[in-house]
Amino acid sequence: MNSSENSSVSGNDRDQELVAGVKAAKILIIDDMALMRKIIGVCLTRGGYENLLYAEDGEEALQMVEEHNPDILILDLNMPKVNGYEVCHALRANEKYKSLPILVQSASETDEERVQVFASGATDFVSKPINQPELLARVQMHLENKLMIHSLSDFRKRMETELVMAREMQQSLLPERPVIKEIEKRTNATIESFYRASFELGGDLWGCWELPDNKIGIYVLDITGHGVGSALNTFRVHATMARFKRSKNDPAAFLTDLNRVLQPSFPLGQFATMFYGVLDCATHELTYAGAGAPRPMVISGDDVRLLDSSGYPVGIARKPEYVNLKDKLLPGESLFCYSDVLVEAPQEEGGFLGEEGLVSWVKELSKEVERPKLVSRLLKRFFSVQSDLLPDDLTAVAIHRKDVDE
Amino acid sequence: MDYKINNNGGSATVVFSGDITFSENVSFRQLLKDIAEQQVESCVFDLSSVDMVDSAGLGMFLIAREQAETAGWKLSVSGAQGHVASMLKLTKLSDLLDG
Repeated sequence: MNSSENSSVSGNDRDQELVAGVKAAKILIIDDMALMRKIIGVCLTRGGYENLLYAEDGEEALQMVEEHNPDILILDLNMPKVNGYEVCHALRANEKYKSLPILVQSASETDEERVQVFASGATDFVSKPINQPELLARVQMHLENKLMIHSLSDFRKRMETELVMAREMQQSLLPERPVIKEIEKRTNATIESFYRASFELGGDLWGCWELPDNKIGIYVLDITGHGVGSALNTFRVHATMARFKRSKNDPAAFLTDLNRVLQPSFPLGQFATMFYGVLDCATHELTYAGAGAPRPMVISGDDVRLLDSSGYPVGIARKPEYVNLKDKLLPGESLFCYSDVLVEAPQEEGGFLGEEGLVSWVKELSKEVERPKLVSRLLKRFFSVQSDLLPDDLTAVAIHRKDVDE
Repeated sequence: MDYKINNNGGSATVVFSGDITFSENVSFRQLLKDIAEQQVESCVFDLSSVDMVDSAGLGMFLIAREQAETAGWKLSVSGAQGHVASMLKLTKLSDLLDG
């Protein structure tokens, strides 16, 4: 066997980069017998490895590992000063070398010895006399594993960083604290809002803005699915909404505008369920239109009334024909909007909460909890029967209007 | 989600059971393939044994509807109750799907 033959064996089927990485690996050969070091060295050189280091005993080996940071060890067991088992123990006790491949070579090969070798932390075993193809195959396998694990974890780290960044960008689509403060002032209300994406990125969004004539607008929306695709669409929807200055005063017209622009660009089967309401802070009149979002609740005392948010979700119909409906949000009342995961998430005991279940929770809690803490208490209860890993994004927003005398 | 296709000389019924949610994407696409391979003139999605459908599930119905229109068969849904019926009504897909 010569080196060119060997590299062509592995070269065709495997990733070239991986082969290059394997061949560039630093290999530390540890044996107290000069002849054995030479045999192993020649074998590896023929196999195409050029980066070889040698140590004569365990003590020297440990020093060289610190100094040269090899990619794999080929380790003899019986050596003066520090033997092979002790080398294994010492390296595995160090976090840095927990996954360093250690290939142990030994002449005697009893079952007990094998057990002891693996128990001391060795990765694999080759028997003496050295069988050259076997040694090369094992070295190559362990180096490839190491490289692949390395590149996978690099990739994963990169993806995680990217997702964190994307998540921060998406968080910035939500209303900022100063905006919420202004809305609270204008509506004489406390706003509670919660938002949590199911896998790093989500398809939920909510927002509010001030409008002329002492009015405010508030919307919640949920784009089908979750993850990267849905998150990208929230950016699209958010950017599109900013274009419609005039129709923001008219919920049905606003949804119609949004649908007209988004319908051609949404992929088949994807859409956004939505609710948009405009509150006149002087007359307390709430004008709203729905596009299939879960029905928002108006909480009055300990009673709840559901707003009719039915309508074609944004993005599916050419002429969705949204209509404006009217209600009131009086001082002392609350408007509560939420995404469907609250009523649809599978509970630990099976089944799901459902709209009726959620309404009865809200009714119960509104008797015992101060209004501005209603949603946080509601979610606390939700998570007490729910695993933290939700199947979908969670949004919950409430405007709690203060009583006139507050 | 499980489904069973009963094809009665071109008029087919798909009986669903379990929940139809985001995670059923792959089996739903398989269902559409299965339907495409059969000669159907009309197909009823029987939802009477379905407890829950989420918005991604509704999206799958829309994909089925598109496939029906392209391939020239008629899709309708029947038997929806409880949460499934409210979801179809809330999103007005009941109109669209001839429920």
